[in-house]
Amino acid sequence: MEIVTAIFSPKLMSQIFVGLSRTVILFIVASGLSLILGVLRIPNIWHGSLYMVGAFMTFTISGVLGGGSMGFWMALILAPLGVALVSLIAERSFFQHLYEREHLMLLLLTFAFSLVFGDLVKMVWGMEYKSVPVPRIFQGSVHLFGGLPFPLYNVFLLAIGPVVAIALWLIVNKTKIGKISRAAAVDREMVGAVGINVSWVFAFVFMIGCFLAGLGGALVAPTVNVSLGMDHTLIMEAFLIVIIGGLGNIGGALVGALIFGLAQSLGILIWPQFGIVFPYAAVIVVLLLRPTGLLKSTW
Amino acid sequence: MLEVKSLSKSFGGFIAVNRADLAVEKGEIVAVIGPNGAGKTTLFNLITGVLKSENGKVFFKGEDITGLPSYEICKKGISRSFQVVNVFQRLSIFENVQISILSRERKTWNLFTPSAKLAVEETNEILESVGLMGKKGRTTGLISHGDRKVLEIAMALGGNPELLILDEPTAGMAPEETSRCIELIKGLSGKRGLTILFCEHDMEIVFGIANRIMVMVRGGTIIQGSCNEVRANQAVQEAYLGGSDAC
Amino acid sequence: MLKSTLGGKGRILGGAALILLFLFPLFLPRFYIYLISIILLTGLLATSLNLPLGYGGIFQFHHAVFYGVGAYAAALMITKSGLSPWIGFAVGPFAAAFLSLIMGLICIRLSKLYFGMLQISLGSLVWIIVYRWYSFTGGDNGIHGIPVPDVISSPKGAYYFTLLVTLLSLWALHKIINSPFGSALQGIRDNPVRSAMIGINVKLHQLAVLIIAGFFAGVAGSLFIVVDTAVFPDMLFWTLSLEILIMCLLGGWFTFLGPMLGAAIIISLRTFVSGFTDYWTLPLGLLMMFVIFFLPNGILGYIQERLYRSPAEETDFVEQTVKES
Repeated sequence: MEIVTAIFSPKLMSQIFVGLSRTVILFIVASGLSLILGVLRIPNIWHGSLYMVGAFMTFTISGVLGGGSMGFWMALILAPLGVALVSLIAERSFFQHLYEREHLMLLLLTFAFSLVFGDLVKMVWGMEYKSVPVPRIFQGSVHLFGGLPFPLYNVFLLAIGPVVAIALWLIVNKTKIGKISRAAAVDREMVGAVGINVSWVFAFVFMIGCFLAGLGGALVAPTVNVSLGMDHTLIMEAFLIVIIGGLGNIGGALVGALIFGLAQSLGILIWPQFGIVFPYAAVIVVLLLRPTGLLKSTW
Repeated sequence: MLEVKSLSKSFGGFIAVNRADLAVEKGEIVAVIGPNGAGKTTLFNLITGVLKSENGKVFFKGEDITGLPSYEICKKGISRSFQVVNVFQRLSIFENVQISILSRERKTWNLFTPSAKLAVEETNEILESVGLMGKKGRTTGLISHGDRKVLEIAMALGGNPELLILDEPTAGMAPEETSRCIELIKGLSGKRGLTILFCEHDMEIVFGIANRIMVMVRGGTIIQGSCNEVRANQAVQEAYLGGSDAC
Repeated sequence: MLKSTLGGKGRILGGAALILLFLFPLFLPRFYIYLISIILLTGLLATSLNLPLGYGGIFQFHHAVFYGVGAYAAALMITKSGLSPWIGFAVGPFAAAFLSLIMGLICIRLSKLYFGMLQISLGSLVWIIVYRWYSFTGGDNGIHGIPVPDVISSPKGAYYFTLLVTLLSLWALHKIINSPFGSALQGIRDNPVRSAMIGINVKLHQLAVLIIAGFFAGVAGSLFIVVDTAVFPDMLFWTLSLEILIMCLLGGWFTFLGPMLGAAIIISLRTFVSGFTDYWTLPLGLLMMFVIFFLPNGILGYIQERLYRSPAEETDFVEQTVKES
């Protein structure tokens, strides 16, 4: 019994839960990325910028609405929607004209967008860090593990994660548009031949994926300094998660996010200076063993 | 020269090649025929190392070449053209053939000699023999389908093979191109003494030039024999021919 | 190279450009000499990327790692060992080539996008190690004040050294591309299955390209030390990798001098724009979008296409080139 408590020490458990809350954010963003990658075959570098925009918009919306809890909840709804709208406009105006070209061009276009938006964010919001206050009901912590405090907001994240996951699963597997999207991921020509407007399917999927990026940004906003450059680190992590999970596989995004999030938090526990290396090392191990990802990819 | 014994390959649950047998003697022209999906291209892919078989063996000049990668098989003396055109589309016709020759001469590790100076005569020879000499500067991405199929053969010749495997060499060709291609194949066998293995859908062509025919249905070999034997065979008629063609 | 792009006129243009390059330090202010040095070495870096990218068809998404590792290896060699800086400069490229070998061995079994992403993750790992290992690599400060031999420590000296090394490297790379190895490489780019079927060991050739590309990226890294006397972790970050990719794309990734042109344009633009405003990535992004939609083969690629108006013309041209060489 003592061994059990020793292994499951408060510090370890606490770190695991911190890792899990990070996993939630990573999963939400990565699932959006995976969706876009799987159905549209676009490696969407712009995703990171949209995540950042989601966070900044949350700051603005909640600020405009008084900075209290109401403001945050409104932001949580409006910011991702705003991001989705922007992504729809971009997709219809630019991306859809490149579907016939090679992937590299689409990838570079999304990179171009991320460059443009990087500066747009700078222009609109300036260069300093922004803070988004935690909504009142989630302020404070709960003392779970041997007295170590665990922020209530993180508990909220741990609750939201499964909600989003289930909602996503339902949309992808149970709705008509979800099924069409999955078919389009495997054989877009066939779907077109059956008379479905594949173009709008793509637009819809792209929007959902970007919505998730915005949602991730909105959710993470109260927990971090909302700053320029958050797009860079996140997009790298999201891509790696998607790759190790299996391209286009939402379940894979979950697995990947778990590995990544937990590796990071446990890594910091074991080796504080280089803890951040652990997720990357885990990625390399996975890719060496299963180059196409842990779960089945749609490619 | 080439012996295929009981070769098998499946994809997931689908059995593409089912214990196929094939024998090609030196100097022969052998045709593989069968309905669509019978596994002909898969068989060629297995022989040439593009795919790995699960069972069975392939012998070339007595040597076991089963499972070897494509580039090794090429070095043994087998060259191949593909059904779906596989050429170097950004390079010129000349360069396509030239690279084939340079590869055969093991020169692809040469980092410093300008390749424009190498193997020029031989490349021109081959281009001349297949009739592409006049277009040799053209970028292959821009030439006609028929020319590209001929280029496929030219590239295979660059390897100076003993066995030439042609996968549907006349597919998609216009009639004049087809007859030129047939003459070319006949010439390769007659003048150069190449052993040729090919597959085709056009029965006239098959019966016109093949010495022996192997019939594949659903991945397996029904029979291998001469024109007459095959035409007379009951199973073949049922599965495939359903009528008489000129021979 | 220019010859193949512009015909006989190319030779004159090329010659003029060379003469100009040698004369610049005599009349240009110090800042511009520095700038052109940077353009030259970054152009070399982009050209080395284009070897696997444009000529090999390999998705080399994190080329900057080799540049950064080469630079850091040289810097550490110079500052930590007692040996002459020249040895340090030589170590850079070999360290980069060695890393290419290791990373290549790991990544080569995958292809296309997977290759690129695995390379990015391995490269990111290297970046993090460099970034965090404060005691050894200087962490996010990098290493400053690296001693450079007197003969090349002045801006003019550094410039001529960079010019010389860049020209030599470009000459070597050009030789390689026009060699049978280069032809095989392009064959692999266009059709790996066909290449294998004519006897080429595709993976081995690709590995060789990666090592060569890494080597010259390391050369560029060493040159940066000569010009700037410092190294930074940013040299290893993935945004730089994508930037040099943009340079190749902008200039024309199926041409030899395209990457150099792309480097010149982007660095000049960045310097010019930064003089007015903080917002450099916006114009860069817009430029990229323009190139993607209207100039997918880059500027030099576009010029080449305009020159070849019909297949017949092209036939004559290529035949002539073949005859000439």
